[in-house]
Amino acid sequence: MARLKLDAREIESRRAFFELTDDDLARLASLRTFADRHSKEIVDALYELILGHADSRAFFSDEAMVQRVKSLQREYFMGLFAGRCDVPYVEDRLRVGAVHERIGLQPKWYIGAYSRYLRLLLDRMFADFKPADAQAAFSSVKKLVAFDMALAIDTYNVAYLDTMARQQAAIRELSTPVIRVYERVLLLPVVGTVDSHRAEQIMEQLLVRVVEEQARAVIVDIAGVPVVDTRVADHLIKTTAAVRLLGAETILTGISAHVARTIIQLGVDISTMHTLTRLADGIELALGLIGREIRPAEKKS
Amino acid sequence: MKRDSIPILRVGDTLLITVHTELHDTVAEAFQEDVLGAIERSGAAGLIIDISGLDMVDSYVARVLADTGRMARLMGTRSVLVGMRPEVAATLVRMGYPMEGVETALGVDDGLALLATARVR
Repeated sequence: MARLKLDAREIESRRAFFELTDDDLARLASLRTFADRHSKEIVDALYELILGHADSRAFFSDEAMVQRVKSLQREYFMGLFAGRCDVPYVEDRLRVGAVHERIGLQPKWYIGAYSRYLRLLLDRMFADFKPADAQAAFSSVKKLVAFDMALAIDTYNVAYLDTMARQQAAIRELSTPVIRVYERVLLLPVVGTVDSHRAEQIMEQLLVRVVEEQARAVIVDIAGVPVVDTRVADHLIKTTAAVRLLGAETILTGISAHVARTIIQLGVDISTMHTLTRLADGIELALGLIGREIRPAEKKS
Repeated sequence: MKRDSIPILRVGDTLLITVHTELHDTVAEAFQEDVLGAIERSGAAGLIIDISGLDMVDSYVARVLADTGRMARLMGTRSVLVGMRPEVAATLVRMGYPMEGVETALGVDDGLALLATARVR
């Protein structure tokens, strides 16, 4: 919710735009007895709509739950007539919105229910008050309901944005999995197309990991890269140079016949890198750099 | 004007220099002079420059560091640059200054190990 930055200033600005004045709030507060008198029947009528519709009814598992949400709904309803529109009021509204978002209740049910709310209130107001007073009362409640609706929709948006940010972070992480294959040996399998943005990201993450793990050798496996052109080759050379500055060596593996041909035909000089076809050879070379070797196990007699 | 001098330690026949402060133009000149002077006096076989304390290295400083290493080499002292931070390495490569010909190692330990291997050969 912090992302919405709903501080006193923002609330002030929203209230101004929704033309929700102190007079409106005072008028709403003066309607408390009216609201109290009708709260039960209005909430019941609201749930007639919600429970009468198969898709919205699906949110309610049993009668006990209906009773529980009805009593919460009455609190919400009475909140409209508290005569307040400050930070705690907004926080309470956002909390309600967040709960609805979490259970997957979409904005359409929200707005549909508000529409019923307003119609029910309008009928009761004109029945109880003189037309001019009813008009004024309805105008005030309509402003606050619109204010609430905006908050509800913001809650959904923020939740979607959070989900998106989380997914983007996950994708970023998946695109550069730096694996520690042995003490001081890292493996970076590059899969998919490498554009400049991704290449930069790969380099930055790899460098950080090299220092973290104090890696002496980094194996970059490009078997999963469909096309190696001058740009990709240039990125690989830069990464190798940066890894070297840290004091580690880069081994490039997974070079197919096709890629080898392309690199030479393009005239790219990658002689600064150790290059090998098979990842297994790369691992052997890397182990050699840290003074280890792979040997057949000796037979026990 | 008081000069920020960078302490030069001697470990066996290797000189160890840890650069903490940013090397500004004047400091960098003095640094180079101090290092070469120390090599001349000690006749050290190896030189390790630890820059793990630097979170920024511009092209000027990079050149001073690389040149100091080359100068040491002329005097028969092999030099290794150690402890470069990831963001510094990325920046140098992006600027097109990959410090070719300069030997590097992850840290002081690796630097010492690298110098030791060379002596056996």
